[in-house]
Amino acid sequence: MSSKAEIFEIIKTNLLELLPDLDPTKVVPEESMKNLGANSIDRADVIIQTMETLSLKFPLHELGKLTNIQGLVDDFHARCMSK
Amino acid sequence: MPDRVIVTGMGVINAIAEDVPSFSNALQAGQCGITSDGPSNDHPNYDGLGICARIPEFVFTERLAKLNLSDDIVLRARRAAARQPRSVQVSLLTALEAWNSAGMSAANYSPDDISIILAGHNISPADQFSTFQKYQEQPEYISARYALQFLDTNHIGVISEVLGLQGEGFSLGAASASGNMGILQAHRQISLGVSKVCVLVAAMADLSPVEVQAFRQTGAMGGKRFCDEPEQACRPFDEDREGFIYGQGAACMILESAELASARDAPHWGEIAAAAACLDANRLSDPSVEGETRAMRKALVQAGINPSDVDYINAHATSSVLGDQVEIDALGETFGSELSKIWINASKGLFGHCLYASGLVEAAASLIQMKECFLHPNRNLNRPISSSCQFVGHESQEVLCKVALSNAFGFGGINTAVVLRR
Repeated sequence: MSSKAEIFEIIKTNLLELLPDLDPTKVVPEESMKNLGANSIDRADVIIQTMETLSLKFPLHELGKLTNIQGLVDDFHARCMSK
Repeated sequence: MPDRVIVTGMGVINAIAEDVPSFSNALQAGQCGITSDGPSNDHPNYDGLGICARIPEFVFTERLAKLNLSDDIVLRARRAAARQPRSVQVSLLTALEAWNSAGMSAANYSPDDISIILAGHNISPADQFSTFQKYQEQPEYISARYALQFLDTNHIGVISEVLGLQGEGFSLGAASASGNMGILQAHRQISLGVSKVCVLVAAMADLSPVEVQAFRQTGAMGGKRFCDEPEQACRPFDEDREGFIYGQGAACMILESAELASARDAPHWGEIAAAAACLDANRLSDPSVEGETRAMRKALVQAGINPSDVDYINAHATSSVLGDQVEIDALGETFGSELSKIWINASKGLFGHCLYASGLVEAAASLIQMKECFLHPNRNLNRPISSSCQFVGHESQEVLCKVALSNAFGFGGINTAVVLRR
């Protein structure tokens, strides 16, 4: 059962894999992926890869408006809890 | 007055080369890049590529570092190509080598003076094959980027972003004649003044085991008799040939207006003196003496030369039982008694049939040989099917060639011929 910290690390790993030039120290929960330079396709793929790592399956549009990575972590964590 | 078109930069990656200098060395040595990935590929459940000429595994960032590019371009290349399919990384690396060697970063062209043509279609069935397998198991996890990357035009997007190209851009298809067709369209663009420079890239054919199996089913693919000696399997123009051998390869040529290239004192590989194409009105894979002859004659007329002016022919010759014979007959029709004075070799014997890219990889091989005054060997030509042709033997030949003809013929009756001149 993944903790929020573990989920954050998964998202961070996926983000750094897609954006090899990103300074890892800049990837913090308060930041948004868009601000860090991830385009819409990159953002979708970070989410899809994270879903796969956590064995979650849900339609992407259910994520709604997320302002930063913390929001994404919280959403994934809630879904893990209710599995 | 249409402008003349010259080649100012080149890049190549294939089974025997990671760049133009290594390609030149490999051609000179008659090196063969054809290997086997396992036991007999006749087994019905065999799921590999079998005997073919593979591009060896590489690390994209390491290859980038070797090319001596500006930090700015390296950064853009890493950002654009880090998560791209292998075929895209290969295309980009050849484009970067060509761009660099042509001195394009220092040239004064504005971004929309430069066009890009990507020669090749159905470029990566290998990616579709692995994505489809994932789709069958877990459709929810299909990547979003696949929606961009399954398109052949993705190569255009990536390369134009890295090099900052804003002229015309499109991909084109002519089966195994795509490389030559790319030369034809680039030549047309520049001589008509539509572009001042064209970055012509021919993409590798990244096949899946499905296409390879289908080729085997047609009987057109070789590698049965010589399954234990892969380097013997590709034997263009030889009595013991039994079919083509699939090769992975890509190339880039920077084609430029001769006048503008001269004004900026650009490097000079040679001139595209002519490029011609014609169809057979035939949907099948069988070649036509009449169609091939017509394409070659068209090219010679366009270049304003006689058959006797040609020093060297880089044949299409795939090691196909029918195809090689048809090409010999067509060469006979086109050149008559002049044929015995013209040197001929078949590059596919060294690095296999690069399919869409073959025309451009072999035109690059031709320009390299013309510049360095040698012709590569026909390594497996032991019993030639014609005694009236002057084939290069088992060793490299020192020859000065000023005019060359390079052929490429594709399934569906597509015939093309390019005349190169130094």
